[in-house]
Amino acid sequence: MSDELIWAVILGMALANFAVRFVPIAIVSRTRIPRPIMRWLSYIPVAVMGSLVAGQVILPDREVIAPWGNPYLLAAVPTAIIYYKSRSFLGSVLAGIVAFVVLRAVL
Amino acid sequence: MAFGVIAVSIGFDVWQSVVCSATALAGAGQFIALAVMKTGEGLAAVLAATTVVNLRYVLFGATLSPHLRGMPLTRQAVLAFTLTDETFAVNVSDRRQGRSTGMSMAGVGAIAWTGWVTGTLIGAAATGLIGNPSRLGVDFAMPAMFTALFIALAEDRRHIFVGLLAGAVAVAFALLGKVGFDIPASWHVLLASVAAATLATVVWRNDE
Repeated sequence: MSDELIWAVILGMALANFAVRFVPIAIVSRTRIPRPIMRWLSYIPVAVMGSLVAGQVILPDREVIAPWGNPYLLAAVPTAIIYYKSRSFLGSVLAGIVAFVVLRAVL
Repeated sequence: MAFGVIAVSIGFDVWQSVVCSATALAGAGQFIALAVMKTGEGLAAVLAATTVVNLRYVLFGATLSPHLRGMPLTRQAVLAFTLTDETFAVNVSDRRQGRSTGMSMAGVGAIAWTGWVTGTLIGAAATGLIGNPSRLGVDFAMPAMFTALFIALAEDRRHIFVGLLAGAVAVAFALLGKVGFDIPASWHVLLASVAAATLATVVWRNDE
């Protein structure tokens, strides 16, 4: 990955992420968003995460692996449970990595 | 912290990952950018992905808007920059208790920014010291982070259903690629998310 691309991404992300937050605040504090659009927006984050997780754990490296032999899919289960119980990102990611390393070794 | 670990493992240096966290302050938006970069996609795909993930800020802006009326544009800009899932949650609970002011919002933002940037620095520096990160399971850091974010963002059964549906659609797109219907990988997540969210909005349009 080239340094130029990384810096371009950093600059682009700074601008894009500021714009997506600032423009709605500036506009919305002066008008109202229709209810159906609000509802549609409320579904977007969880849909994005669902499609990211599914792609990464069901098809790691774009290959189809049988579920019982797939450490990515199996390690996602304890990660989800531990996050649900602890509400700690760092704790659940570290626990997930440990589960993944163990599963990768034994499968 | 996890952002620093993952950024360094895909080729950022420590300095780049810290600058990225300091200027974007985008949480999930930064993680998805790394995921898209890892697939070898270019700048446009990365920015499209981060923008879609952060469309939820439109919603946050709307929720906070009663407080923002009449606030000068520069103050709104500062608030916008520090608006994250965490600061939004704190500001909303402050407001419910009638404690929210412009100053308290700025304070919450400053604390969140410092924590996020420091965490990135520690994660990136620690990963740089480890020789072969793959041996230690860093390959799973990103899937683990998205799994945790999925649980964090799923507020009720409908959210869970929409997330699972989007996941199924994304996997279906990837499988279609294997039989010749190739949709560029960066589009899988966007198309699947928009399709699932739109379906949910239409199906559940009548009840509240």
